[in-house]
Amino acid sequence: MQVSRSSLSLEQAPPISVPFRFFITAPIFGLLAALLLLVYGPEILISRWAPATLALTHLITLGFLGMIMCGAMMQMLPVLAGSPVPRVKPVATAVHGLLTIGTLALAAGFLSGITGLFHLALSTLGLGFLIFIIAISVALIRIRTPNATIHGMRLAIASLATTVILGLTIGAGFSGMTSLSQLIPLTDIHLGWGILGWIGILVIGVAYQVVPMFQLTPEYPQRLTGSLSWVLFAALVIWAPLYLAWGSGQLPKWVPDTWILLPTIGYTLFAGSTLWLQHKRRRRVSDITLLFWRTGMILIAACLLLWLTSLTPAAKNQPAIPLLLGIWLLFGIAASVTNGMLYKIVPFLAWFHLQNRQVALMSMGKVKVPNMKELMPDRLTQRQLYAHLATLFLLTLAPFWPNPFSYLAGLGLGVSCALLLLNILQATRRYQQVNQELSDFESSR
Amino acid sequence: MEHKLDVSGLEPPEPMEQILQAIESLNSGDYLYVIHRREPRMIYPMLENMGIAWITRPGGPEGYEIFIWRKDDRIANAKIPT
Repeated sequence: MQVSRSSLSLEQAPPISVPFRFFITAPIFGLLAALLLLVYGPEILISRWAPATLALTHLITLGFLGMIMCGAMMQMLPVLAGSPVPRVKPVATAVHGLLTIGTLALAAGFLSGITGLFHLALSTLGLGFLIFIIAISVALIRIRTPNATIHGMRLAIASLATTVILGLTIGAGFSGMTSLSQLIPLTDIHLGWGILGWIGILVIGVAYQVVPMFQLTPEYPQRLTGSLSWVLFAALVIWAPLYLAWGSGQLPKWVPDTWILLPTIGYTLFAGSTLWLQHKRRRRVSDITLLFWRTGMILIAACLLLWLTSLTPAAKNQPAIPLLLGIWLLFGIAASVTNGMLYKIVPFLAWFHLQNRQVALMSMGKVKVPNMKELMPDRLTQRQLYAHLATLFLLTLAPFWPNPFSYLAGLGLGVSCALLLLNILQATRRYQQVNQELSDFESSR
Repeated sequence: MEHKLDVSGLEPPEPMEQILQAIESLNSGDYLYVIHRREPRMIYPMLENMGIAWITRPGGPEGYEIFIWRKDDRIANAKIPT
């Protein structure tokens, strides 16, 4: 019988300020996105190419989703794989600062058309992601016995690198720094790698660990975990040149469009497995994270149906359909899943850091460490879930009836992000209070 | 004496909370037998800091069995099933 005494060194876990700065910044970008919807209203939902639409998209992808995913990855690597990110404090400071400036500059660049803002955005985002990708890659390469989650993270980071390179290329063309002949296909490939590669493969890899762990479900079947991420990645590698060949007139559009069905079906299989595992979970208590995840998984299947609808002749000249697809992919799936995860990660980290310090000080019975529910009460997270679902509903109607639903969706997004921010700040404040009590105990000894 | 603790149906970090609580009530010669679904790697540094010994074995009814006792408690140590 194998005996294990392996341990996770405390020094490996980054300080709580590393992930929390990303988690607190994310809903602030969400608030900016809401403000944009309220100011520009229906104009944002006329076409996916409108400058305000591009600004909104990047506030959500870089500002909201990117912040949460970068912060979570820096935290999860040492916890899930025992491989810390090298020089995590300066890396986190640089990445957070550069991505914040870059995202703001990019959104402002789209809205104003000022070339200097694009230059600032491209240099800061390029450098920020370069530092992030190198630091995370070092931690990922150091892992000797990678599991399905680590394979997923490696493929997700490769997808992120591809997304960033394409984004920088498109940005340079958009701002007139270089000439770009295939703007539309390159943009679609950029978002294909961003959504189906970076976001999608990372969510799947992380789900293999966190769904069974936090939602008390059976494990994902090995047939799925062993191959799905690789199949999705390989499908994207093949799809990109097919799509470029369509862009240059060498292939009909149905070829890349049919090929992209392969990863889409793969994602639907993942969604179906997750819903099935959630159905088989051991403890049938209401759980906010589970409801966020369930929303995301149902919308994966809905996106497949919407994608198939978009291929029919009747849908050809309907600009609302690609907009709705983007809304469901980014807000309905990615934002739901990441928002739900925050309600596990934030209170868990706060509890873990306090509990560690309590044990180190041997202050058990003297200072009470709050549990997860006290750090992140259900009544607060439930309220935000309702605001999120209402926003999703309003955003679903908005492409078809931009007036008044773009304004109402902006209002909903503002309320949802404000509540999310307040919930994270509330947990942070509670953490700081108890941490201070522990400091007082330490100095009184 | 063995104190059995089944944390296999609990969501993190409740298993950790319950294990830490149970350790406080261990008397001389007692050890804790924990039934778990996963290897609780995050609790090990805390146990180390508390002067607690442990041994984790894959197996048991839910996937992992962890035996926990005070490092200086030789009687408890001798009782740990091999």
